[in-house]
Amino acid sequence: MNDQRESRLIALAAVFLFLYSAILTLAPAVREQSLNVAFRLSHWLGFAAWLLLAFLAYRVTSRLLPDRDPYLLPSALFLSGWGMLTVWRLDSGFGLRQALWLGVSVMAFAFIAFFLNDLNFLRRYKYILLSAGLALTTLTLFLGINPAGAGPRLWLGCCGVYLQPSEPLKLLLVVYLTAYLADRLPASPNFFPLLWPTIFATGIGISLLLVQRDLGTASIFIMLYTAILYLATGRGRVLLAATIGLIVAGLTGYFFIDVVRTRLDVWINPWSDPAGRAYQIVQSLLAVANGGTIGRGPGLGSPSLVPVAHSDFIFSAMAEETGLAGTFGLFAIFGLIFARGLIASLRAKDRFRRLLAAGLTAYLGLQALLIIGGNLRLFPLTGETLPFVAYGGSSLLTAFVALTLLLIISNQTDVEPVPLPSPRPYFFLAAALGLGLVAASLTNTWWSVIRSSDLLARTDNARRSIADRYVKRGSLLDRNNQPIDATEGSSGSYKRVYFYPELASVIGYTHPIFGQAGLEASLDDYLRGLQGNPSSLIWWDHLLYGTPPPGLDVRLSLDLELQRRADQLLGDSTGAIVLLNAHTGEILVMASHPNYDPNKLDKIGASLAKDSTAPLVNRAAQGTYPVGTAAVPFYSTLGEVNAPPAQQLQTLFEKLGFYTTPQLSLPVAGAAPKNETANLQVSPLQMALAAASLSNSGVRPAPRIALAVDTPQQGWVILPAQTPPVQIFPADAAAKAALQNTLQNKIYWEWTGSANSPKMPVTWYLAGTLPNWQGTPLAVVVLIEGNYPSIAQYAGQELIQAATKP
Amino acid sequence: MIGALVLALRILLVLALYAFLGWAIWTIARDLKRAGLQAKPRDIPVIRLEVRTRSGQAVSRAFTQPEVTLGRDPVCDILLDEETVSARHAKLSYHHNQWWLEDLSSTNGTNLNDARLNTATVLTSGDEIRCGNTHLIVSLGSDIIVPITRKL
Repeated sequence: MNDQRESRLIALAAVFLFLYSAILTLAPAVREQSLNVAFRLSHWLGFAAWLLLAFLAYRVTSRLLPDRDPYLLPSALFLSGWGMLTVWRLDSGFGLRQALWLGVSVMAFAFIAFFLNDLNFLRRYKYILLSAGLALTTLTLFLGINPAGAGPRLWLGCCGVYLQPSEPLKLLLVVYLTAYLADRLPASPNFFPLLWPTIFATGIGISLLLVQRDLGTASIFIMLYTAILYLATGRGRVLLAATIGLIVAGLTGYFFIDVVRTRLDVWINPWSDPAGRAYQIVQSLLAVANGGTIGRGPGLGSPSLVPVAHSDFIFSAMAEETGLAGTFGLFAIFGLIFARGLIASLRAKDRFRRLLAAGLTAYLGLQALLIIGGNLRLFPLTGETLPFVAYGGSSLLTAFVALTLLLIISNQTDVEPVPLPSPRPYFFLAAALGLGLVAASLTNTWWSVIRSSDLLARTDNARRSIADRYVKRGSLLDRNNQPIDATEGSSGSYKRVYFYPELASVIGYTHPIFGQAGLEASLDDYLRGLQGNPSSLIWWDHLLYGTPPPGLDVRLSLDLELQRRADQLLGDSTGAIVLLNAHTGEILVMASHPNYDPNKLDKIGASLAKDSTAPLVNRAAQGTYPVGTAAVPFYSTLGEVNAPPAQQLQTLFEKLGFYTTPQLSLPVAGAAPKNETANLQVSPLQMALAAASLSNSGVRPAPRIALAVDTPQQGWVILPAQTPPVQIFPADAAAKAALQNTLQNKIYWEWTGSANSPKMPVTWYLAGTLPNWQGTPLAVVVLIEGNYPSIAQYAGQELIQAATKP
Repeated sequence: MIGALVLALRILLVLALYAFLGWAIWTIARDLKRAGLQAKPRDIPVIRLEVRTRSGQAVSRAFTQPEVTLGRDPVCDILLDEETVSARHAKLSYHHNQWWLEDLSSTNGTNLNDARLNTATVLTSGDEIRCGNTHLIVSLGSDIIVPITRKL
């Protein structure tokens, strides 16, 4: 009956791993949404190896351990297969090594089951075993290396085979403590003197680990020592003492050891330093959040964004690709192992076996909970491995040896269990492990369901720019549907191309490293397809591919032909030009010089921000300049020619909109505070809107730059202005002011003003069509940094002539 | 298209994971149920014993408890006050759905249907037990089932 159960469970595990491998094979096709891709095949080797090893392990148990617990081996094989394929998915080289180590582990399993299945040898040679473990760990102080090249040197070995002695040391400590306590404790009523050898042995181990800065393992040592002592003695004081000890150790570490301080700081508040010390944990939470309920699917997430995902953060990789559905199953499998381990302990036929089984369960449980909790920010991060799952030969081998011992202990028929004087510690251990798993499930739900969308919208979520490589982004078009920029290439290597780079400071850019700016940032939801598409489509694409649907094109009010002319006219001058439709507020031209070529962002991106000429700033909308005499043409609307008194001036400026920030889907400078008149600074865009009122019967229009979006269901949908237009002057006052500044034979009014700011002088040129103009009413503002009235005048006149040409 | 296929596979993957867990939990639950049933007190068929001493007296007694002891000791359920009977001579017990007869290492032994009893043996109606000079006739009342009452 045991055989049948075990084989059926292993078969179900095999089905799971087969499906996992199949999805992993198809994953590239799903990502690129095409069948013309390179399918992933190498992991089938790992799957085949697993099948062979699982069969072997099953044969060994059914032959040598006929009455063992039938759940332990399938659970361990399930976890190790899942872990190996996950490691393989992250890095096939590591995956192959993990498969080989799984082979070594199963061989060790068979060896122990065959030759050493009488556990008394552990009891007899406990000191030799522990000393050997300690000696190996001591050796790492002198001969230690790190296979990754840098980092703590905790490994021994050469020629590509490495062993981390602190892993088996945990197991040897459990064996030593349980053997010693099982032999000695019942004999003596006064138990404290008996503990000195155990304190000594554990102390040496902990000191070695402290010297090596392997603090995670050191804390596991303290917890294991506590757990085993409590199990053996049943005295609650042990727990109290250990809790106090851990808190004291934690505080000491916090003040004297940098690593502990960092770990505790980023645990308490990771959001303050998400790009530095908290990078790992924040990225881990992002991965968990991206998993959601059923996960992105094997091979379809981006877990390799988390540093060392294959060992310390394998849990978050699994959470991303299998979601809550997967991690709850993972917790349940661990729960099954814990429960069966404790049952084997309670049914054991002698004290040593009972204590050993409980100690081994505590070892597997504590280590699993610590690292899962660390990945989920439930506990501070300790660099432990997830037993059976995470990459690492020593860890896998140790976990399998622990499993073998549990199987041997559970291998008995109807033997009367040895009496248990105080069952409370066993229930306590079971409750602690169970509660730990429940807490992990709740935390996992918190990150992957409740906080998921907040986390995924963070700008340090690189999954957005990864999605940009696989999903076509919408184009920006000018008012005549001429493309300004577009995404080119094929899925997997999409790249943004800017056809008219002079518009860089307005259009902005979208870049995997430098992020987004300008219209690319403010219209991102449309361009990325998250707005304007039916929500069912967005949901479906997220479910299938983990990406938004293809992006939508947005039509802008810009006129590329006039824009090109404006850029020529502005030339090398530093300044800005705004030309807008005075009636509708549609911005036809928005030029800002100097600018940059967003196509070359890869090379120049880092130096742009430091450039003293500030090419990233959109001078037309984000730059503010002193008003100076540029406000004079508006004075006549008040019936005055000279500068009006301050109070009236403030009212005028308020009407002109100099104190209100223009509402536009584009980053704009915030407006000046209301009491400012003499030193008032406004952006050329604000000035252009004010100028437009003189050409539009005294109505100041609301600015518009994004006109419409091309939705799949309704075609072009108009994006309305965000504010209504405002009547600021009577129509005749506006007409009078315009005509006052009109030269004979001209079809537009114009004004050249200047301001002498302390930093630099600026030149303004304002112009607009006359009230009786039959065509589209226009207003133009040219701003030049420096005192260049003729350049400003020439540029403005040429542009308005070009724009009014029939 | 391929996305939908893989979505189906992903759902199957989750199902396989929970099939593993479900099967494990189901079999554990079945074990628990079986253990519970075994531990549950069963209804015990009445055993009726007709005791015939050498003097020819016949007394008939019925028992519903799971264990009945015979012997010379007054604490025995059936007191056989005779020299050839040991203090605790034999035991009738009900387990594994049967009544069993077991000799308690008595001096003169217990015979079942004139054969010496060496090991616990299942009883059926009409069996004749002999302890020393006392004969007992067994009749199992499958028709009269009295629920067990707790022995104080």
